[in-house]
Amino acid sequence: MQFLPTLLVGLRQSLWIIAAVIAIGLPLAFCLALMVMSKHRLISAVGLVIVEVGRGMPALVILYLVYYGLPRFGLNLTNIASVIGALAWNYSCYCSEIIRAGILSVPKGQLEAGQALGLKPRITFLRVVAPQGLLSTIPGLMGQTILAFQDTSLAYTIAVPELMKQAYSLGGESFQYLRVFVLAGLVYAAVTLPSTWITTWVERRINTAY
Amino acid sequence: MDTQRNESEDFMLELGAITKSFGKNTILHQVSLRVRKGEVCSIIGPSGAGKSTLLRCINLLEQPDSGNMSLNGNFYDVSFPLRQDELLSLRRTCGMVFQSFNLFPHMTVLQNVVFPQRHVLRRNESEAREVALKLLDRVGLKNKASSHPTQLSGGQQQRVAIARALALEPKLMLFDEPTSALDPELAHEVLDVMRELADSGMTMVVVTHEMNFARTVGDHLVVMADGHKIEEGIPEAIMDHPQQSRTRQFLSAVNH
Repeated sequence: MQFLPTLLVGLRQSLWIIAAVIAIGLPLAFCLALMVMSKHRLISAVGLVIVEVGRGMPALVILYLVYYGLPRFGLNLTNIASVIGALAWNYSCYCSEIIRAGILSVPKGQLEAGQALGLKPRITFLRVVAPQGLLSTIPGLMGQTILAFQDTSLAYTIAVPELMKQAYSLGGESFQYLRVFVLAGLVYAAVTLPSTWITTWVERRINTAY
Repeated sequence: MDTQRNESEDFMLELGAITKSFGKNTILHQVSLRVRKGEVCSIIGPSGAGKSTLLRCINLLEQPDSGNMSLNGNFYDVSFPLRQDELLSLRRTCGMVFQSFNLFPHMTVLQNVVFPQRHVLRRNESEAREVALKLLDRVGLKNKASSHPTQLSGGQQQRVAIARALALEPKLMLFDEPTSALDPELAHEVLDVMRELADSGMTMVVVTHEMNFARTVGDHLVVMADGHKIEEGIPEAIMDHPQQSRTRQFLSAVNH
């Protein structure tokens, strides 16, 4: 138990990282979803490449490419900026597919009703299609966020002092690796399990929304 | 020249040689149609005849391959997609009611009728609400204004959809099998609203399987089969004395 205060300092760092990942990743995910759905072939292709590369590589590989690779091109990011950037890319790619699926799940009749009423396409999208499509994506996005939170543990590999890194250091100092990692796992679970329960609850609420 | 113009002024809608294919299947073969102002034109025929596709070509939910159209005195060559502003103005002239209602489920009944007015006619909120409540009253649903569409029966939803379309003051109303998704009792209340609308002088094109409606409310009957207009005229005349064997075959199947 004497390890807990240090682990909680690490947890604070982890939560900061995930907050930044969400703040950058979600708007980016929305833009990527729009790009992939674009009628413009080139925009759609560029979006698709960004998304497929981001989803195709493990988060750890992306993290190393950002941290060790970008300095080659003159872009030196701090380790925290690297982990936020790498995870935000990975996270936004998965989220963009969830958003795209949500928008495509809106019945075609809704779009046609907007068209038949003479609404501009932008208004039909923003006021009719998007609100319905995005509502159904909320549980999926929350689930993805929980996974991204677990991925913040990868930051220990580039010495960001987050929860996993703190646990690793404590283990090295005390040689009580098992205890420390069990405790660290419980700290992660203390965040993710309630989040999962909330997600399930939100999902039920949404299913009875209308 | 003068007489010709006067004659065309009598028509709300003139379709000229509308052709439409999906892939290799030609759904509409050079279909022409004229609908007078204030007329109720019913389109009947077996499924797959192209009735709905023809209706959807009128407000360009389907882009025809070729043809032309005159709507409320404006001429359109619909062989090519229209410019955005032309398309919006054409759609503002037509209201459309769908088989599946297509109300916006995330809005209340009142918002469903108010929201399009705000954007399409740029009415202010209080004016749009006033119009909406008047129309909801007309279709007998003023007391449902604050409900959500899913809390309503199918017949009620369709009546809201009619009010939503009417709020934009269309010159022509298009009905795409408006009662096909409803059981007979609920269909009745929708048909009553449509009958009242016809009596008020609205020009209507109705794709329907309701033979009684086509006969008693319709002024003009069009029979379609296999992408062709095979017969048209006064409803009673066609129903009682069909000229084409294909029409006879369809009518006897329906009346069976």
